[in-house]
Amino acid sequence: MPRIADVSIPESVANAARHGDARALEAVYLATSAPLYTLLRRLVRRPAIAEELLQETFVDVLEHIGAFEGRCPLPAWIRSIAINRALMYLRSPWHRSLEWLDADPGRLEELQSASPVAARSSEPALDRALMRLPALTRAVVWLHDVEGYTHAEIGTALGRTPSYSKTQLARAHARLRDLLAGAETIKEGTPCTLA
Amino acid sequence: MHAGLSEWSARLAALPEFEPPPDGWETIQAARLQREAGESRRWPIAIAATVLAAVAGLAWQLQSTERELTATDFSAADAAVIANDSVRAENARLEVLLASLPEMRVMRGSTAFTVSQLEDRLAFVDDRLSRFTLEPNAPEHAERLWRERVELMNSLVQVRYADVASPL
Repeated sequence: MPRIADVSIPESVANAARHGDARALEAVYLATSAPLYTLLRRLVRRPAIAEELLQETFVDVLEHIGAFEGRCPLPAWIRSIAINRALMYLRSPWHRSLEWLDADPGRLEELQSASPVAARSSEPALDRALMRLPALTRAVVWLHDVEGYTHAEIGTALGRTPSYSKTQLARAHARLRDLLAGAETIKEGTPCTLA
Repeated sequence: MHAGLSEWSARLAALPEFEPPPDGWETIQAARLQREAGESRRWPIAIAATVLAAVAGLAWQLQSTERELTATDFSAADAAVIANDSVRAENARLEVLLASLPEMRVMRGSTAFTVSQLEDRLAFVDDRLSRFTLEPNAPEHAERLWRERVELMNSLVQVRYADVASPL
């Protein structure tokens, strides 16, 4: 799975996009939308919310592409907009109310079974365990382990300290280990009988 | 089995990619047009709201003055209503100030959290204000709610102003 920061956009396309060229902008969308959508799906549980965040991210990109100065690669700039959008959502009261609803294990299963990706995952147990982490903890794990953010960068993005990020990451890894161990026990355990 | 840091990275990064919605680009362009249309409507709405607030405030003040001059049974409740005028005027001034601040598309997480908390509280106060006439001791309650609303609006303007003044 390519990370969005690994996506390479030719300088000529990035320059044309900065000047508002419609075809270049569409090319940027086509190159970055899948890894960006994956990132958003890992940060928020609900597919519809991830789609909305993807849409809002690219509307922001279209509106502000002229302000992009090229100090970092274009995909990294787009990723920072998407992450800001997702974190704003995760801290909203709207999300907190949904999180409470989604915390129900049955609802979690339902959200995951709706995803064809979960079905073709090489590690479905890890997929499930990841989605069972609290939203901000999951964000710390994904931003650090997959997107390569430092603890200082995560702390800044979350409005917390680097220590908060380190603690969350350590707890998340321990929780993932527990959840995976539990999944293996169930898989390998003896079948339940009445006798 | 204990997974090390790089192993977690490798395992998580190996999870499959999600497919974005097939008509994503068209939807984004439509959403952009919608947002632009919304922004072009914002100023006329803000101006209309200001005019409406000013007219309503003037009418209220005229009524209050008339009542003050003619009433023979001037009560504490009436005094509370008149005291409300200055609070409402301050509230209208803050509304105009807030509407004049540019909308930040990208906001710090901590700012967004504070803004959402303040907006939540404002929604709660507005809900109470819309129902206060049904309650006993309505004028006194209304005054307290209007004062709370002004304080919340003041905080919201300060947070939004700070965000605009120091963009990401």
